[in-house]
Amino acid sequence: MTEEVCRVPKTVIVGGGAAGLGAAGGVKAADPGNEVVVYTQFEDVAYSPCGIPYVHAKEIPTFEALFLAEKEAYVRAGIDIHYERTVEKIDLRDKTVQVAGEGKVAWDRLVVATGFDYADPGVPGGDLDGLYYVKNIRRAMEWDKVLDTAKAAVVVHATPLGLEMVTALAHRGIETHLIDPHPWPLAEMADPDIMAPVEESWRELGVHLHFNTTLEAFVGEGRIRAVRTSGGELSADLAVVATHKEANNALAAAAGLKVGSAGGLVVDEHMRTSAPDVYAAGDCVEIPHGVTGVGLQGLTGSHAYAQGKTAGVNAGGGTRSYRPVYVPWGTPAGKWIIGGASFGETTAKALGIPYVLGTAQGISRARYYPGVKPVKVKLLAEPGSLRLIGAQMVGGEGIKERADFLATAIKFGLTLGDLAVMENVYSPAIGALVEPIAAAAQNGLDNAKKA
Amino acid sequence: MAFGRWLRANAEHYLMIAAQDRVARTYGANRPRPPHGVREIFWLRIFAPVYGLIPWSVRRAVIHLMPGSHRRSWPAPPKPSGPAV
Repeated sequence: MTEEVCRVPKTVIVGGGAAGLGAAGGVKAADPGNEVVVYTQFEDVAYSPCGIPYVHAKEIPTFEALFLAEKEAYVRAGIDIHYERTVEKIDLRDKTVQVAGEGKVAWDRLVVATGFDYADPGVPGGDLDGLYYVKNIRRAMEWDKVLDTAKAAVVVHATPLGLEMVTALAHRGIETHLIDPHPWPLAEMADPDIMAPVEESWRELGVHLHFNTTLEAFVGEGRIRAVRTSGGELSADLAVVATHKEANNALAAAAGLKVGSAGGLVVDEHMRTSAPDVYAAGDCVEIPHGVTGVGLQGLTGSHAYAQGKTAGVNAGGGTRSYRPVYVPWGTPAGKWIIGGASFGETTAKALGIPYVLGTAQGISRARYYPGVKPVKVKLLAEPGSLRLIGAQMVGGEGIKERADFLATAIKFGLTLGDLAVMENVYSPAIGALVEPIAAAAQNGLDNAKKA
Repeated sequence: MAFGRWLRANAEHYLMIAAQDRVARTYGANRPRPPHGVREIFWLRIFAPVYGLIPWSVRRAVIHLMPGSHRRSWPAPPKPSGPAV
């Protein structure tokens, strides 16, 4: 007679970022008895890397404030995290991973949450000291000391991180140069009229802006002393390399998992990859855009966490679906806050998507209330149905909440007609009589009639 | 790099530059620099205008043929039905 042993299914998670830890929590949420092991190459987990620029800017006093939980909290939750452990190989047939220092480790279900790498700038001098890739909190602590003595810095590319670092360095009193091959900052996602006030505020802060400018080399002997660009050489004590984020997929691709046209791993609504019992989440996957259907890679930390949770619940034996994304986004930039949902005019034109435009310049509070700020709203709607398909904004406050709302409005198919008659909070200290979204929608309706 | 990824990366990059030029003219903003070399001239002076002639519905169908997560199963957008209470 054979004795049956009831074995707890084991989920191995590769990566300890937002997606990886979201997945670990998901596995345990599905069944607290599940075994879950997380491998991370770094010394820490459970901190907010997105907060690093704000510590550099001295808006947050310490890096320790970025930690969400202590390591013991994960031990207590039954999540076994192996720090400073590199997974070198995934074997889909044997259901094992090869871990440096541990050897082969078996899994029943695997979650790939390997995150992103900054795109290689692909220029000479990439091996010099003094190139700062903002990612790891321990390195950020070391770099913060460098910033104490730095006189001049070059930020390479006006990506979302680049924007945050430009503002942080300028606040720090460092002579800051921003170089970008596009004609305005964040030009691959934001429109020029949205970014114009940001550029103006950076100039007020003393930032030197170099658009339509290509990086040619990092120059120095052992350590960077300048950055060579198509517009000339810029002296620099350091360069912040904020190139776009590429999916860190080498391990998964080598194992045979399918990669999509955006470079992210192919997944479905359950975050299942192309291999059985293998899930993936976060910056290493691509998710379809809710309006266009185009796969997108490299979303936000909140997307990564939610995807990880979905992957973990499903890996742990539960059922949870993720959905196509409508991408609410926002960030401080200079003295403004910019944001939006889905896409703006430039992306719509690039894809060739027809749209009706509605714009309005409103205010964030009653016009007489101290601290009132302008709020510009642009809405894009599908011609004919006038369903909302995109939005962009710039203002001083309330941008995040509007972006969240507009993303949901797009998801549920609200029209300019719906938004033009929306109800809104009116309270002098926190909201104006006329909501700028409603005014932009009315403008869009007027434009649609003229067309 | 797989062909699909190469095509998407290049098409996306140059279509975006062409779109930046059109939007910049609308708003009187800084325009992208003019194209240099055969590669940039092809993508910006030939590919982008030809792409612009194709109706969105056709373009969308072509995009959907590219490999990616969008070809797997995903739930349809939610539809509210009836009163909440």
